[in-house]
Amino acid sequence: MNLEFFSNGPALVIEGEERLLVVADTHFGIEADLAAHGLHFRSHSADRLERLLKIIDAADPDMLILLGDIKHSIPSLTRQEYYEMPGILEAIRSRIPLKVFPGNHDIGIERYLLDTELQPRDGVILDGVGYLHGHMYPSPQLAGPLIVIGHHHPLFLLKDEVGCSLQAPAYLRAGLDTKGLGLDMHQNNLSPPRVLFMPAFNEIAGYDILQIINNPFSPFSRFIKKEEAEIILADGTYIGPLSLQQSDETD
Amino acid sequence: MKPIEVLDPKVQACIKKRGFSVLSDAQKQAIPLILKGNHVFLIAPTGTGKTESAMFPVFNKLLSMPSGGGIKALYITPLRSLNRDILARMQWWCGELGLSVGVRHGDTPMGERRKQALSPPDLLITTPETFQALFMGKRLRKHLAQVRFVIIDEIHELAGSKRGAQLAVALERLHVYAGEFQRIGLSATVGNPEDIARFLCGARPFSVVSVPVAKQLDITVKFVGDNFQQQTEILSKALKRDGSTLVFVNTRVTAEALGHALYGRGDVEVHHGSLSKEVRIDAEERFKRGEIRTLICTSSMELGIDIGRVDHVIQFGSPREVARLVQRIGRAGHQLNTISRGTILATGFDDLLESLVIAKKAKSNEIEKVVPHRNAADVLANQIAAIAVEYGEIERAKIREILERTAVFTACGILLDDVCRQMEEHRLIRIDGSRIITTARARRYLAGNLSMIHDERKVPIFDMVSRRTVGSLDESFVVGWIHAGVVFITKGQLWRVIEIADGKLTVEPAKKAQGELPSWEGEQIPVPFSVAREAGKMRRTRDISKYTPEPDGIRFAEKFLSEMDKNRSLISTDLLITLENTDDGVVCNVCAGHKVNEALGRVLSILISARYGTTVGLELDAYRMLLRLPSSIRAADVRDLLLSLDPSHMPGILRLALKRTALFKWKLVQIAKKFGAIDPDADYEKISIQRLLEYFDNTVVQTEAYRELLSEYMDIDTAVLLIRKVKQGEISVALGPHSMIGAGGLLSSRDQIPPPTADQAVIATLKRRLDQEDVLLVCMNCRDWKSRTGVTRVPDHPQCPKCGARLIAALKPYEDELYAGIRKSKKTPSERAVEQRLLKNANIVLSSGKKAVIALSARGVGPENASRILATLTDGDAFYREIIKAERNFIQTHRYWS
Repeated sequence: MNLEFFSNGPALVIEGEERLLVVADTHFGIEADLAAHGLHFRSHSADRLERLLKIIDAADPDMLILLGDIKHSIPSLTRQEYYEMPGILEAIRSRIPLKVFPGNHDIGIERYLLDTELQPRDGVILDGVGYLHGHMYPSPQLAGPLIVIGHHHPLFLLKDEVGCSLQAPAYLRAGLDTKGLGLDMHQNNLSPPRVLFMPAFNEIAGYDILQIINNPFSPFSRFIKKEEAEIILADGTYIGPLSLQQSDETD
Repeated sequence: MKPIEVLDPKVQACIKKRGFSVLSDAQKQAIPLILKGNHVFLIAPTGTGKTESAMFPVFNKLLSMPSGGGIKALYITPLRSLNRDILARMQWWCGELGLSVGVRHGDTPMGERRKQALSPPDLLITTPETFQALFMGKRLRKHLAQVRFVIIDEIHELAGSKRGAQLAVALERLHVYAGEFQRIGLSATVGNPEDIARFLCGARPFSVVSVPVAKQLDITVKFVGDNFQQQTEILSKALKRDGSTLVFVNTRVTAEALGHALYGRGDVEVHHGSLSKEVRIDAEERFKRGEIRTLICTSSMELGIDIGRVDHVIQFGSPREVARLVQRIGRAGHQLNTISRGTILATGFDDLLESLVIAKKAKSNEIEKVVPHRNAADVLANQIAAIAVEYGEIERAKIREILERTAVFTACGILLDDVCRQMEEHRLIRIDGSRIITTARARRYLAGNLSMIHDERKVPIFDMVSRRTVGSLDESFVVGWIHAGVVFITKGQLWRVIEIADGKLTVEPAKKAQGELPSWEGEQIPVPFSVAREAGKMRRTRDISKYTPEPDGIRFAEKFLSEMDKNRSLISTDLLITLENTDDGVVCNVCAGHKVNEALGRVLSILISARYGTTVGLELDAYRMLLRLPSSIRAADVRDLLLSLDPSHMPGILRLALKRTALFKWKLVQIAKKFGAIDPDADYEKISIQRLLEYFDNTVVQTEAYRELLSEYMDIDTAVLLIRKVKQGEISVALGPHSMIGAGGLLSSRDQIPPPTADQAVIATLKRRLDQEDVLLVCMNCRDWKSRTGVTRVPDHPQCPKCGARLIAALKPYEDELYAGIRKSKKTPSERAVEQRLLKNANIVLSSGKKAVIALSARGVGPENASRILATLTDGDAFYREIIKAERNFIQTHRYWS
């Protein structure tokens, strides 16, 4: 298995038997929600989609995996989503087959998806890697070397001697407490599973990694092994163990 | 004919009844011009009957008009308290003359407003913001059609601000209903009367009447030491005399501190903007009645609110601007023809020299200019929204017509179109071909944005540890800069942000200065360039006695300077810039005032951050800048940068530098609010606002943030001139030891300039990680020695203590068992392969020493990758960049993932 990092996504290609392009948390339609919170901006869906299509062209994958929170509004579709979603999905579909792992924001998205595209919420293994959005407990069958999830929007603050010099989307990889997560480890010769938290594709979403770890808000953030957690920037630069960053924070 | 006789006998009779025996100079000169119907701009000191100068002839004309039917005269002042004051005075005159008068502003009760809508007064006293609101109601708009006179009081307070630009547009909106009306501006002394008159009148002809103030000033500068206890004792003594005193201070904090220290006297009250209206009015009334003799106040008392007789004015600390000093001292001797007496109590070296310079400039009438905002895009957006609501829908050309009659939007050109397009994006208006149409949001927006004053929501700061609120921060600042994990400073203490939720900022105390952040403790009054230059010159010429006869001040200044000499410190002057190393970074002593230092400091910061890849912290005042730097960057490096600076590149560099600073984001949020993009009560907790702000890249919102910062907050043109002088050798640059001057000063502005890329921070993180790694050194010669140690402690060329060989392999600590395997005499094929690998490893260490050990401790770097890295023959950062590349490759392979 090989990986390729696309920092202008952020997006990831995981290549085994097949080349799979993975994108998480696009949150199309977020502008309607922003407006409800007093922030009035035009829809940036077209720009966001164009960015996605460019990556699809550059990566030339066999399939696109949308790792949940494709759309934004809960509990129902907004007028913005009603108008935009069919076109967005069609633009993707016309280039490449896609699979969608619905997230907590994806209520009502089924009506725009083909049966073959809609995947179970608690995940499935594709080409040896487990995928799900990550807001709920995974299927016990997902135990495997790697589980890729979205939902958390990790953001990393890189500091230098004087101040904070970078705030950027980043990947977080860590070991898992399989028992807590209810993963079935009795299958044949399994290595201990690791989870990879994908950064959000949506350009305005982001959540400090230390917050995710210290104030967990999902099964995965609760049951990761903190001491093994490692940070990778969106372009694939290896930052190293989170514990190094953290000890720096608290003295 | 006596001057007074040009007035209507009824008005003359009133003047006599009021007990005015003679007209003041201001009145004598202004009355005939106003009677003639001229637009008049009147400059006169406080207490010379400015209001009456305008109102006597206006009364005159009102008497000849039919009564009722609409508002005939508008009297606009910048403050509600001033409105109340003017109303009290006008009620008497109007009562005598049979005219009706009313006041309308934020505090006016609903009943009163309704009455005004049904039967409008002849004279309406209001603020610029409530004037805006008058256009919103159908009935009130009709009353505005009768307006013949608009008087703007204390116009110098408005002309230089966005409030003023907004008012200028409102006057032209009024013109649409009322046609030409007579404009009268009343002002304290300004350096550029023509510009302000133009601001008032647009392209119309006008007359300027100016009654000088300077010869009536008697200013003393007294040095009171830099110890607060001593300062208050001297102040207390100064108050022990007959008559009443106003004590002006520059900040509310100082006002409170002095008030607290002098409270025991029982005849002192404090007056500033943070106190409630009732408390302030009570203090004013008691002062007027003579129950208290001293009022400690901030700029809240600068304007002409009538507080009765003031015998003396004390300015505590440097007034920072000439105009401010003149205005403040002008409050003393509130009767005609008396001399205004004032004392500045100087509180330190900078403060003393600055006060002396300002006092001298005040006496020679060198007052600063007030510069109106030209083409302020957010004011434009605000007024387009207001006009759209006012008309429902309107041709864009009609809006342009209104705007181009003002002096501040005469050439708004394409800006109008850009602003409209941006507003449409935020759904504040709709554009239909050439027409602008109001939206459902616009009226609500307008209700929350009548004012161009940024009415900042304060976000409380809650300390998790002590479970109490420790202060508050401006909302724009929180939105633009604060996120979880960040460290900032407020009230002199460091805090780390835990979360922003439920409208409050939860923090914990932080110890480390790392990540220290900008802070604003209110907006500071900037010291002008010319004042800072002359203070610098005084340091050079040391002719203190030319400025003051006061022995204490002269003695202190001379002693301070000779102390500097004794310490072999260099004294920065108008002709010498000095740089000093400190524990925190480098201090640049530049006597150039706040705005120039703001510009220069940021230019230097971005150059340093780009060259060394580090964040630079910046703090500054009028005489020095502290650049917070990593310990490896020293004063000599900063000097080299300063000397190699190309003045013509500076404006471009500054624009680059600005974009990523807290100051810029703070401004951007404020302007975005005026464009309707961000509601006053927006909830920004769920998203990264900083990345949201990137939506404004290359928009008119961003352009306006640049325009305002580059004109209001910093002065790049003068900074360029200064560096030209450095280039020409007129100003020299020297390195000196850390000095009393360098260590002094209140660093009033703080910001951070991040590096253009995070490259250096990534390298630093890598170095730190590798330094903390452990390594297992094993001897491949005798195969009988292994030692686990930290990478930092590995010698340049590791050697086996047992056999003396330098054939040492560097293994990861978990590779211990590999060494055990190859020590066996009988090896399996796989152990033999490992042996080959270890030998290869040891050979690399043999030839490249510690560098090889460092490379080998990187993630996923084995002997092959290590020799590839070492073969590049790179050193320093380039070497580490090669390691980053190797690690990035490793991360992409299945070895990392399985």
